Parts: sequence; C-alpha cells; structure tokens
Amino acid sequence: MGNFVVWMVWVVAAFACLGSGAAVVSFSNPYYSALALIGNLGSLAVLYLLLSAEFVAAAQVLVYAGAVMVMFLFVIAYLGRHADAPWAGGPSWQALGAVAAAGSLMVEIVVVIGLKASGRLSDAPDISAGFGSPYEVGKLFLTDHLLAFEITSIVLLAAAVGGVVLGSHARGEEEAA
Amino acid sequence: MIAAAWVCLLAPLGAAVAITLGGTRWSRRAAGYLATASVATSFVAAAVAFFSILGDPPEERTHLTTAWTWLSAGNFDVGLTLLVDPLSIFMMLIVSCVGALIVGYSIGYMDGDEEERRFFAYMALFVFSMLLLVQGGNYLMLLVGWGLVGLSSYLLIGFHHERPAAVAAAKKAFIMNAFGDATMALAFLVLIQRTGSLSFDAGFEWSEGAAGSWAVNLVALGLLGGAVAKSAQLPLQTWLPDAMEGPTPVSALIHAATMVTAGVYLLVRTAPIFEQAPGVQDIAAGLGAATILLAGLIALVQVDIKRVIAYSTMSQIGYMFLGAGLGAYANSMFHLMTHAFFKALLFLAAGLVIHALLGEQDMRKMGGLRQFLPRTYLAFLIGALALTGIPPLSGFFSKDSILASALAAGTYGQVLFVVGLAGAFLTGLYTFRMVFLVFGGEPSAYAREHFHRPERTEPWLWMGLSVGALAVLAVIGGWIQIAGIWHPLADFLKPAAEPLIEPTGLQDLFASVLAVGLGIAGVAIAWAVYSARTIAVPQSRNMQAVLEHKFYFDELYDWVFYRPTVFLTRTLRDYFERPILLGSIDAIATSARRIGNEVTELQTGLVRTYALSIAGGVTVLALVFVWVK
Amino acid sequence: MGPALTWYLAISAFLFAIGALGVMLRRSPLIVLLSLEIMLNGANLALITFSRHHGELDGQIFALAVMAVAAAEVVVGLGLIVAVHRRRLDLDVDKLSTLRG
Repeated sequence: MGNFVVWMVWVVAAFACLGSGAAVVSFSNPYYSALALIGNLGSLAVLYLLLSAEFVAAAQVLVYAGAVMVMFLFVIAYLGRHADAPWAGGPSWQALGAVAAAGSLMVEIVVVIGLKASGRLSDAPDISAGFGSPYEVGKLFLTDHLLAFEITSIVLLAAAVGGVVLGSHARGEEEAA
Repeated sequence: MIAAAWVCLLAPLGAAVAITLGGTRWSRRAAGYLATASVATSFVAAAVAFFSILGDPPEERTHLTTAWTWLSAGNFDVGLTLLVDPLSIFMMLIVSCVGALIVGYSIGYMDGDEEERRFFAYMALFVFSMLLLVQGGNYLMLLVGWGLVGLSSYLLIGFHHERPAAVAAAKKAFIMNAFGDATMALAFLVLIQRTGSLSFDAGFEWSEGAAGSWAVNLVALGLLGGAVAKSAQLPLQTWLPDAMEGPTPVSALIHAATMVTAGVYLLVRTAPIFEQAPGVQDIAAGLGAATILLAGLIALVQVDIKRVIAYSTMSQIGYMFLGAGLGAYANSMFHLMTHAFFKALLFLAAGLVIHALLGEQDMRKMGGLRQFLPRTYLAFLIGALALTGIPPLSGFFSKDSILASALAAGTYGQVLFVVGLAGAFLTGLYTFRMVFLVFGGEPSAYAREHFHRPERTEPWLWMGLSVGALAVLAVIGGWIQIAGIWHPLADFLKPAAEPLIEPTGLQDLFASVLAVGLGIAGVAIAWAVYSARTIAVPQSRNMQAVLEHKFYFDELYDWVFYRPTVFLTRTLRDYFERPILLGSIDAIATSARRIGNEVTELQTGLVRTYALSIAGGVTVLALVFVWVK
Repeated sequence: MGPALTWYLAISAFLFAIGALGVMLRRSPLIVLLSLEIMLNGANLALITFSRHHGELDGQIFALAVMAVAAAEVVVGLGLIVAVHRRRLDLDVDKLSTLRG
C-alpha cells in the first residue's frame, strides 16, 4: 500500500515536471512560461521529498519558487508588452541542429544510465532517519564544505552589487527617453 | 731583455691609444711628436734587447716569453707569447728604426692636414702591429699581427677617405690580403689538426717527421699564399700600385720598408716547414723571379713617380722571395734591410718633390728639378744608385749576394739567376728613367709655374733630417756584410735560419760583375733615351698597351672573380632571396591574416549559435567519455 | 520503495534536454533565462538522486550551492534585460549581436 502511494505520487510529480518543462519552452506569452516554471519547481520539490532531501525541497520552494520566480514575474510585468516572445522563424539549420543536439544528449544519457549503470543504481543503501534534515545539511555545510559556503555567500554579494549597478542609471535614462 | 721586448712592442700601442683617447686635447703637432717618440722608444728598446742577446752564446739565443694563456680549449693552448731571437730582433730593429724616421718625416709632411692626429694614431698602430707580427711567439700571435697590419694598411691607404679612388684602393688591398689570410688560416688549421698546437717548434718537429707528405705541402702552400698576398707578388700583386693613393709616408713605411716584407719574414721564419716541402719552396722562388720581371717591365711605362717606386718595390721583394725560396735566408734578410733603407729614402725624397710641386705626381710634368731641389736630388740619386746595385752603396752587397746564391743553387737556381740579371738591367733602366725625367734637363713649364719652396720651419726640418739619416743608412747599410770576407749578419741570423746554400767566392765575383755591368748598362740606356735624347723611346703599340694595362691582371681578376660573384649574388637575390625567403615571410603573414579572417566568421555575435556549439560539444564529449569507459 | 533511481535520472536528462532546446530555439532573452533555469534544475535533480544513491549528503550540499548561484545569475540576467529594455533595443537575441567578429 505504501509503495503504491509512493508510485502514484511519483507518476503525478514526474508528469507534472515534464509537462511544465515542455510548457515553459513552448508558450509564447512569457507570463505563462513563468507560471509553468513555478509549477515545474513545485513538482521537483515533490520529487526531492521522495528522495529524502527534505531540506533541499523546502529551500527549493522558498528560494527558487518563492524568490527567484517572483523576481522573474516582476520583470515580466515591468516589461509589459515588450516581453512578448513569439517563436523564432521557420525551421532553419539552427533549429534542426538544436533538436538533434538535445535529442542525442538525452538519448545518450538514458542509454548510459539504462544500460551501464542500472544494475548498480537499483540498490539504494539504507539511510538514517535524519538523512536530508536541516541539522545534517547544516552540519556538513559548516564543517566539510565551509569553503563552498563562504564562496557562495561572496557570489551572492557580487550578484547583489551587480544588480544595483545594472539598475542604477534608472533616473537619467528614463528622463532621456 | 724580455722587458725590453715588451717595451718595444707596447710603446707604439700606448701612443696610438693615447692619441685616440686624447682626441683634440692633443695638438696636431703633439700627436706627431708622441708617435715619433714612441717608435723611437721602440728602437731603443730593440737595441737594448739586441745588445743583451749578444751576451748569450749563439745556441741559446731563442727566448720565448708568455704573458698569459690566451686560449685554452681541451688540449689546445695558445698563449700571448713573444719570441726574442736573432731573426725577430733583426726585424724589430729595422721596423723601429725606419719607422721612427718615417713617422718623424710625417710630422713635416702631414703638417697642416686636418686629420693629422688620426694619421699618427694609425701609424703608431701600424708599428705596433708589425712589431707584434715579427715578435709573435706562435702562429696565432703572428696571425694577429698579420691581420692588424692589414687593417692598418687599409686605414692608412684610405686615409683621405673623401677620395673614392683611395677608398677603392684600400678595399682592394684589404680583400686581396684577406685571401692570403684565408690560406694561412687553412695552413694553421692543418697544423692544429696534426700537432694539436700552434707553436713554432711543434710545427717544425712535425714537418720533419712528415716530410714530403701532402699535409706538409698544404701547410707550406697556405703559408706561401699569405706571404704572396702580403708581399704583393705574383699572382696577388695588383693591390700594391693602387695603394699609392695613400699619403707618401704611408707608402714609404708600409708598402716599401715593412709590411710588404712581412711575407719574406714569414718565409724565413717558417723555413723548416718549407724545407720539408721543396716543391713549394721552388714555387716561391719562381714566383719571386717572375715578379722581378713583371714589375720591372711595367715600371718602364709608368708616369706616376710613386707608382714607379711601387713597382720597383714589387720587383725587389721578388729578389727576396727568390733568395728565401732557394734557401739563402740571411741574404734575403740582408736585402730586406738595405731595401728598407733605400726604398724609404726614395719614397721620402719623392714626397719632398711632390710637396714642392703642391701635390703633382705626374712625371711628364716634371723636369729639371735638380736646379730647384739640389739636396733632394742628391738624396734621390743616392737611393737610385743603391737600388740599382752600384758599389759601394748598400744595394750592391745585398742584391748580388742573392744572385750569387741563385747561381750556386743548381740548374733551377741558374735559370732564376738569369732572370735576376735581367731584373738588374731593368732596374737600372726604369730607375734612372725616373731620375732623368724628374730631375734631369731643363725645368719644365709646369715646374716653373708651380714650384713652391718650402719654408724652413721646424716640420720641414724633420723631413730633411729623416731623409738625410736614411741617405746615410742607404750608403753604409750594406757594409755590414761583404760576401765571403766579413759576414757578421749571416752569423747572427744562423741560429734562427740555417741557410741551405753557400756560394763560393768565384760565384760571388761572377754574379757581382754581371749584375753591376747590367745595371750600368741600364743606366746608360736610360741616359741615352731620356737625358741625352740620342735614342728615341721605342714605340710598340701592342707592347705599350700590355705594359700599361699591367699585363691585364686587373682585367683578368675582374672577369674571373668579380663578375661571376656579382652574377651569382644577383641571381641568388632575384631567384632565391626575394621570392623564397622574403616571399615566404610575406606568405606567412598573408596566410595568417587570411586564416584569421576565416576564423572571424565563427563569431556571429548570436547567442543561439554559441549555445548550439556548446550543446554540440557536450554531446561529443559525453560520447567520448562513454566510449573510453 | 518507489521507482528505481534510474527513473529519476531519466527525468533529469529530459529536463536538461528540454532546457537546452529552449535556450537554443527561443528568441526572447527572458524565455532563454527560464530555459536555463530548467537546465539547472535538471542538474539539481541528478545531484540529489546520486546523493540518495550513495547515502552521502554531499550531493545535496552541491544542489544548494547551485541554487544560490542560479539565483545570483538570475539577478544579473534580469538586470541586463532591463538595461537593454531601457535603451529601447529589441529584446531579441538575434538582433543583439554587436559582439559579432
């Protein structure tokens, strides 16, 4: 029974994920694309939960879906009609090449995983109850991966500064326009 | 004695350096005094060395002194070595004595020239180089002196560098000498290969063991090539007449008394090697004899006073080569000494004539200068008589000793003896042609117009003194050796160069009588043609042309060496250098630019293209990883 | 329990490919950024999956770092888009080609 529930949840989440992914890429209205992405992020969070990554799932919803996507929506709203993005022109060599590349990439990965690694991947080790909990993640962040933690914070600082700089000439240009 | 040798060598170098570094801080006259004083110091030092070497027993008169090891490469060592032995002291004395007199003369001759200091610096440099050459204790030092002498000659011939003729003559002299340097270098390389050293003794020992082999002959040939080039013998004689473009003191010092005799010195110094290669020695004698004739004939048609004297130098050095080639080393060196005296005397007296006529050297414009320059005439006459070999002047003793040695040297020697006699006749003829043309008869119109009596200033005094001193030497210089009776010179030189032939008293007498007789005959004919005008000058258009063109040697060399070289270089430039070498550089640049242009097409500026290429690359990489795994 | 990990990786691959398609085929920079986000999320999913597979938390740490960096990148990207818009240029990646060599 428990297994069945898990499978059902997985199927729903997986299809939601794939569908919303396709939707993001294919809608012409960017507002709809952004909303589809929010849905994608949400379904991914569910998948993370199934993989016992609770903290990451929470962070995903809070940070990604909550902050990043809201920022996207703000910008789309700001741009208004200028944000409309029709599809590119008819199939050119670029489009064919793109499809070919993406397709082959996917096929490769699937083949590799399916043929080579499936044996080993099928037995997942037993994990403790605290696997994926904030306590465990936090402990690892602050001991083994302290450097990554600090550098990430510097990256965020740089992004903040960049954002300020990019947006700083608002007044002058608006008036010139 | 060793210290004296070093002083002798380094004094002129010091003067040259001092004059060069002092620049205009020296007055022009002071530079002249400094140079003269330095060469005089050399002479004094050489005399000191001479007297102290007399104190040694004859077998122990060879002293080698090394300042430091100059080159050291594996087993090969060469030091800064000086050799003090009878032969080198003999040359040192001659070079410094005649050198001092001529440099002193130049104080007067070059007075007023703008670049007088440069002249004296070069003269001092030359004396240093010549002394290094004769004092060199191994072949390398000799070669250094040899090269430096060539350099000084180039610098001094081209002293008046604003005259293209002088520059061309300097180049010609240097290049022909370079040919000789090359053959000498080859000889030295063979020596290094065979003996592993460049010392004289090592070479001599090896040559005795390898007598007659092709290696010894090669070495001897190489040395002969250098001697022939430096001494302007056949076939490398064409540079000497052109070298008269230099100032007269230069002609006197370098191209009469000292540098051109360096070839003879080389032959005598390396005589042990030549003795083991008798064929080459015979070639040397033969070349000398041929040059005697060639130069004598050409001198008959020259109109420039200095060129006549130059050809007579060439001819007299032919006598020295003749003597050295037959093994009469002491007699050759004796003639070298007397020739230095009377040839320098002739040149310097000619310089007085040229100065008096404000630079005119064409004999056809001269005449009757005996009345204007009586003392110069006397000096010139003494020199001419010595040159012709009239007793009791110096030339008589030395030239006849060589002819007697030729007579005593077998059949080949006797052939050369006849050539030498012909040379004696020609010498009398062309020398007195010159005397009568310049000094004889009535003064020419040109002489009257342009004659300029020099003021009795101090520089003039120097010129007079030098000429006087040389005249005295030309008279008494031969009295140091009278064949068969009194030969201190031969005895002195014997340890350094053992002569191969000793003429008998009868041969001496026979040679002397014939030579003097022929010389007087030449003088008589010259008198008849040019002074008394009883016989007309023989006219033969073809002969005249041949002699005037110096037997067409210049034209020959032009066709054999110059034109093919120019053709070769032009062809190489047009077909190899421009299209291939330069063209390849252009092609590299052009193709680099073209490739760059092609590569630029990749940068479309479109993000999508870049993304596509990234995706493609990732795909390929993934495939590669999968495969490799 | 639940599907084997292979399936999660298949989803990850699919997401990545879709995102790549979007980056390469769409003309609006906004949509390109959104597609980029999808690619990053696909990678995140793969990381989490392997973390579960090994029983180590390093993959999750990495995924969190990726999330932070993605956020930073979105800030700068959106700032660029707004700046481009301010200059009255077309928001079309094909037209924004001044870096053409």
